[in-house]
Amino acid sequence: MGGRIGPYVVISGLDDAASRIPVPESRFIARSADGDRTVLISVPLPGADPGRFLAEAGASRYLLGPWSSPAAALAGPGEEPWHARPYLPALPLPAALTVHGGPLPEHTVRALGAALVDTLVIGHGQALTHAGVSPAAVLLAADGPRLTCFGAVRAAAADGTPRSGLPGLESGSLPPEQAAGGTPQPMGDIYALGATLAYAATGHTVPEREEIPAGLRSVIGGCLSRDPAARPRPAELLEVFRPGGAPAAADPVAPAPAPAGAPSVPYAPSAPPAPGPGWLPGRVIAALAHQSARILAADIPAAPTAPSQD
Amino acid sequence: MPLPLTHDDPTGFGPYRLLARLGSGGMGTVYLARSAGGRTLAIKTMHSRIATDTAFRTRFRLESDAARVIGGRYGAQVVDADPLAETPWLATEYVLGPPLDEAVEAAGPLPERSVRALGAALCGALGQLHRSDVVHRDLKPSNIMVTAHGPKVIDFGIARALGDDRLTHTGAAVGTPAFMSPEQATGQEHTPAGDVFALAGVLVFAATGRGPFGNGQPADLLYRVRYGEPDLTGTPEALVPILARCLSKDPAERPATAELAAQLHDGGGEFADHLPDAVLALIGARASEVWQVVPQRLPAPADVPATVPSADVPAARGLTRRGLLMAGAGSVLGVAGAGAGVWAWLGRGESAPGPTGPYEKPTPGPSVSALKKKRLDSVWQIQNGGTYDEESPDAPFVLGGVPVVVGNTQIYRMDPASGAVEWTADIDGTWQIASDGERLYQNVRVAHYDDPDSGIPRDVDRFLARVDLATGKAGKHLAEITDANFGGIDSQLLAVAGDTAYLAISQGKVKMYQRQIPWAVTAVDLTSARRPWTEQLPFRSAKSDQWHFLAAKVVGDRLLLLQEMNDGKVRIVARDTRTGKVVWDKPWDVGPTAAHHPLTADGKHLYLGAGRLRALRLSDGSQAWESAPGKSYGPPALKDGVIYAVQKGLGLVGTDAAGGMPRWTEKGGDGAQASPTSRPVIGTRYAYTYSKSEGVLRAIDLASRTTVHLYKANGDRFTAVEQSKMIMASGEHFLAGFPLQ
Repeated sequence: MGGRIGPYVVISGLDDAASRIPVPESRFIARSADGDRTVLISVPLPGADPGRFLAEAGASRYLLGPWSSPAAALAGPGEEPWHARPYLPALPLPAALTVHGGPLPEHTVRALGAALVDTLVIGHGQALTHAGVSPAAVLLAADGPRLTCFGAVRAAAADGTPRSGLPGLESGSLPPEQAAGGTPQPMGDIYALGATLAYAATGHTVPEREEIPAGLRSVIGGCLSRDPAARPRPAELLEVFRPGGAPAAADPVAPAPAPAGAPSVPYAPSAPPAPGPGWLPGRVIAALAHQSARILAADIPAAPTAPSQD
Repeated sequence: MPLPLTHDDPTGFGPYRLLARLGSGGMGTVYLARSAGGRTLAIKTMHSRIATDTAFRTRFRLESDAARVIGGRYGAQVVDADPLAETPWLATEYVLGPPLDEAVEAAGPLPERSVRALGAALCGALGQLHRSDVVHRDLKPSNIMVTAHGPKVIDFGIARALGDDRLTHTGAAVGTPAFMSPEQATGQEHTPAGDVFALAGVLVFAATGRGPFGNGQPADLLYRVRYGEPDLTGTPEALVPILARCLSKDPAERPATAELAAQLHDGGGEFADHLPDAVLALIGARASEVWQVVPQRLPAPADVPATVPSADVPAARGLTRRGLLMAGAGSVLGVAGAGAGVWAWLGRGESAPGPTGPYEKPTPGPSVSALKKKRLDSVWQIQNGGTYDEESPDAPFVLGGVPVVVGNTQIYRMDPASGAVEWTADIDGTWQIASDGERLYQNVRVAHYDDPDSGIPRDVDRFLARVDLATGKAGKHLAEITDANFGGIDSQLLAVAGDTAYLAISQGKVKMYQRQIPWAVTAVDLTSARRPWTEQLPFRSAKSDQWHFLAAKVVGDRLLLLQEMNDGKVRIVARDTRTGKVVWDKPWDVGPTAAHHPLTADGKHLYLGAGRLRALRLSDGSQAWESAPGKSYGPPALKDGVIYAVQKGLGLVGTDAAGGMPRWTEKGGDGAQASPTSRPVIGTRYAYTYSKSEGVLRAIDLASRTTVHLYKANGDRFTAVEQSKMIMASGEHFLAGFPLQ
């Protein structure tokens, strides 16, 4: 504690340094020097391009929907790059699996799926491809998830450059077309979502088919199709993840091409309900409460009266 | 959930800035606060007007000490405290979890696995306290916060009302003696086994949503706790024998906490694993919502009378009269009997200020040659229920030289010379006793049960009876107060004079969710049981804890009433005793607390202090005289045609009752500290005034007008018992006797 990022004093890191799941940025819980505002703040990994990092953060400011995580503050021109949003108690998905002691229950994965699809659908409607869905990008808060790391794939390397094995990118959730250097497209988010839900349900982003709970097998399998066109449309996923929603077809099927003259979205399902009580396992709630209590109790050092050595 | 600050909340305490209010009670307010470094915590404060009482201040310190003893695992971690500040405060962690009563209210009764885990963890908490020789004394659902990592026990019985505003608005099982042990209910020492009894009650509540002795009036609950069998209906079968043993009337039969913990739970899993989803959701919401608090401060209302203390502002309303009755039933006995345990705990080695034990040995009386500034001891002092500010201001009653003290659940006849309690009798509220100056009358409540163990009466009757001063027993049924239409179930016995009793009565069935309750004031002829008149009163919100009247007195054919209106303003209302019609009605610009004193009147005038000293004509309410502007007086006492009152900053003054001419002012400068909130006592040689800040009762020679004696004293009310030449001081927790000369 005590390191500074922009106008904030760092209280602690957000991610478990021992986790093997890559995180595309370094994330901290920090507080303004006057003690009033506590934030979740991110800085680029060492060696990353600060311009692309800030560009994505800037674009994220326009994200809508209850489960997105738009930047609320950004580094000023000439400052070391960072972006921040108000703190709320949240656990990265990998940390949630750790405290829960293994894969999350199916109903949690479904609630997560519904909220994340909803967020992606809203973003796609705004012409914003997330290009950064991965296990570490998903934070679990008491009221629902928050999808962070907007644009991590674009920030990691410019389009046209192969992205396999770049630091911060989790290989299982990197869509093959983006790994090859392609410009991220909305259906790439569906692939990454499938991998992320697979991780939540099994602990791996590249699971054995049998590991996946039977009720989720076909939908996750469909998302993970190498061919973007074979992946399910977000609207179908909303139906699948809706509580009591229709099970996906036994095998992924390519959606029928829309007949000429039909609206481009055959029907627009309403947003799924917010996750209800019980959507998170007890130990995850306990870990959230523990984090909240720890940050509530943190006292940052008094603001220096004169500019310090940094 | 945090609430905005009010305009008169301070900006901070010590190094902490206030962000929001978390709750408020009769003793103080709890705030959400933040340090310069952004540490967010809860700050409990004690109202500074209460903190001038050293006994309260001591209790506050003890509460802090107890919180430190229990520590952060089983309680709210203490971060900082300043028990010596003008407004004492205690900073603790902000606990992330709902109180058990709210958890059960929101999530329903808990499953067996939760009850077992909760019980085992509470055994751990109590075990830790007991090993440190601390007894909790007030374990109940509202004092247990359910966090994801286990329950945390807060609000020890020492400073019980603090922040506990739930007392006033959920009737159920909270703030009543529902979780009290039978030994506590009979005023005996409450030992660790008493905490085990309370714990079992809490677990029955967790498993079923109600305590083992049901809900209801404090007096009924106390009776059932003492003599009734616990009702374990709905408790999971496997828990019944375990909890039944904990609920034994004989403390020796109850298991120790370690044994109970082993019977309840094998210790497997984490606490959160055993909680139902609905409770986990409440915990998750608390953990998140605190981060969304935006500091806000409400603007001052357009016109706040300067004399209204902050606790009377609606948002910060303290334990008000009716609320206190409910809460107080526990407090009286809690402090009276069970207090012994805690006082004994602190008393070890150090002598706590104020009362040091029940039935303290009478100390030697003062010697006449005592040096002027030496503080003399009381002749006797006992620790017991004492009285509350909110009760009928005429209590204690002195009837033919016999003082009868009114507590919240009992009345007791005292020997004024020795302090011995000659008898006690149960009542169901302080405003149910009145006197015509010779006899004592009670508005007796009788509850009828279909099933005596169910706790919920089928029907309640009230009738007026005379209390036999030799035994304390209510005598024959003089007049029915309740009627077939459920009128009178809630009632306030205002005054009795000339064989007529005057009451405020509720009309119709009082339903929990009803917004408005009709009330009336009525006269009851005690010989014929007829009601010569009944006059409607303003509707009163069902949520109001207030009684309609702050004081009442019959003088000639006038029924004089201090009426508190729905907006908290006070009016002086004179009714014709023959017709009940309002003869005159005047506003009085003081707060209810300042107005709450016995009415002082003679055949011609009603005399008012609190602000200017004034005399109003009984005939038409017009003003006969008024003191000079710019001076402020306390409540007046009348003796031999002279009105005595404490003038703020000066001391005792005497004024001619008939014409308002100043007659008398004390000399020597000792009076500057005299409390303008206490009524002086006037003897034959001396007058007595109380100084709360110094903790002294001062005897002023009426001839020389100078201070002749100082007594160590503490109390709210001082009552002369002329036949015994004694002054009785009554405070919230104790009574004391001083010589009256």
